[in-house]
Amino acid sequence: MSNDPIYSAFAEDEEMAELVEMFVEEMPDRISSLQDAWESSARNDLQNIAHQLKGSSAGYGFAAVGRSAADLEDALKDMERELASVKAEFDALLNLCSRVSA
Amino acid sequence: MVHADRKPVLLLVDDQPAIHRLLAVKLRNEELEFLTAFTGEEALELAKEQQPSLILLDLTMPGMSGFEVLKALKENTDTMEIPVIIVSGSTDSRHKVRAFELGAMDYVCKPFDVPELRARIQSAIKLHRLMKMLEQRAQIDGLTGLWNRAYFDKRLEIELNSRRRTNRPLALVICDLDHFKLLNDNYGHPAGDTVLQGFASLLNHELRSSDVACRYGGEEFALILPETTPDEAIRACDRIRLAIDAKSWKNYEGLSATASFGLAHSDDLPVETAEEWIEAADSALYEAKRGGRNQVHAYGHGLAAGGALEIDEPPTEQAA
Ligand SMILES: [Mg+2]
Repeated sequence: MSNDPIYSAFAEDEEMAELVEMFVEEMPDRISSLQDAWESSARNDLQNIAHQLKGSSAGYGFAAVGRSAADLEDALKDMERELASVKAEFDALLNLCSRVSA
Repeated sequence: MVHADRKPVLLLVDDQPAIHRLLAVKLRNEELEFLTAFTGEEALELAKEQQPSLILLDLTMPGMSGFEVLKALKENTDTMEIPVIIVSGSTDSRHKVRAFELGAMDYVCKPFDVPELRARIQSAIKLHRLMKMLEQRAQIDGLTGLWNRAYFDKRLEIELNSRRRTNRPLALVICDLDHFKLLNDNYGHPAGDTVLQGFASLLNHELRSSDVACRYGGEEFALILPETTPDEAIRACDRIRLAIDAKSWKNYEGLSATASFGLAHSDDLPVETAEEWIEAADSALYEAKRGGRNQVHAYGHGLAAGGALEIDEPPTEQAA
């Protein structure tokens, strides 16, 4: 997986600059809640965080994060699937989140 | 009195601050005022108090879910008319169907396209404004522009209900133009209409914006005066009485109009029903007519103001 930074599609948009910055600043908190939820197997929490990221990321110009979050949410909604089996989706989202930059 | 339009107020309900910040920026050029709530409970309270023109409602929130909020909004008569657009991350069609079944006006998926959301917001607000306008028109008297009888009946119930809770003072006045039939016969119906309109504009001028002036029917008017002491109510009636008496009617030389007033006040009226209130004000009005017209009578007190010199009516006859 790449570690290159991801920049907002609205990076050049003046009215969005400050907002994007705030969104990026909050990312470490989101990442640690994701990790906490994963480590404690809190499936509902994990699904909620994924749901929130899906709803907000694209609005801040991080569409890839939003899509990845949607994949994780969908995977978690499928109750046939064990938590362990969504590891790939979880890792992909975590990777993208950690690369988000302002 | 009928209120003019104010800037539409939008209530945004979402548990994510990131969504609030984003919309605040993306919608800042719209002609809107914003209210924000981060929980369903907060949203219900704000909706009730502030009566927004539109609510944008998230579905997935800790505590009350968006569906629960929507249901509560639609079940409460204070908030059921406020249009709601669901803004949710869920694209599940069962969620959309449920939202519409519960009374949502529209459903927008997150991540939302900003120009599309703007257009949907404006369209919802326009529709809401039209509905309000139609509803208001159905409650307004065409000739005088005052509230009509249907509105009066509804509003009196509301005021009596709120009085039951708060015990605040309330006054009800029924007033009637004197010898109106004679006036119509002598000067014609257009003159009668002019007097009705002139009286209505005096009411608008003399009353406070919190007072409710209605055309009760024919030449009869009903005034609901909330938070008013008996003295204040009598003074208000007497101001109107003197103003109509003093008014000159251009195009109708020699025409003069007077009115009689019957007042019922909560201090003198330990009763609760609208019928009893109206009966009390009506009987005071009857006394004012019998006492010689152009005067104010208060239920339980008799003559309160005015009192013309003329004694022209045998007391047994139906006063009008
Ligand atoms: Mg939410």
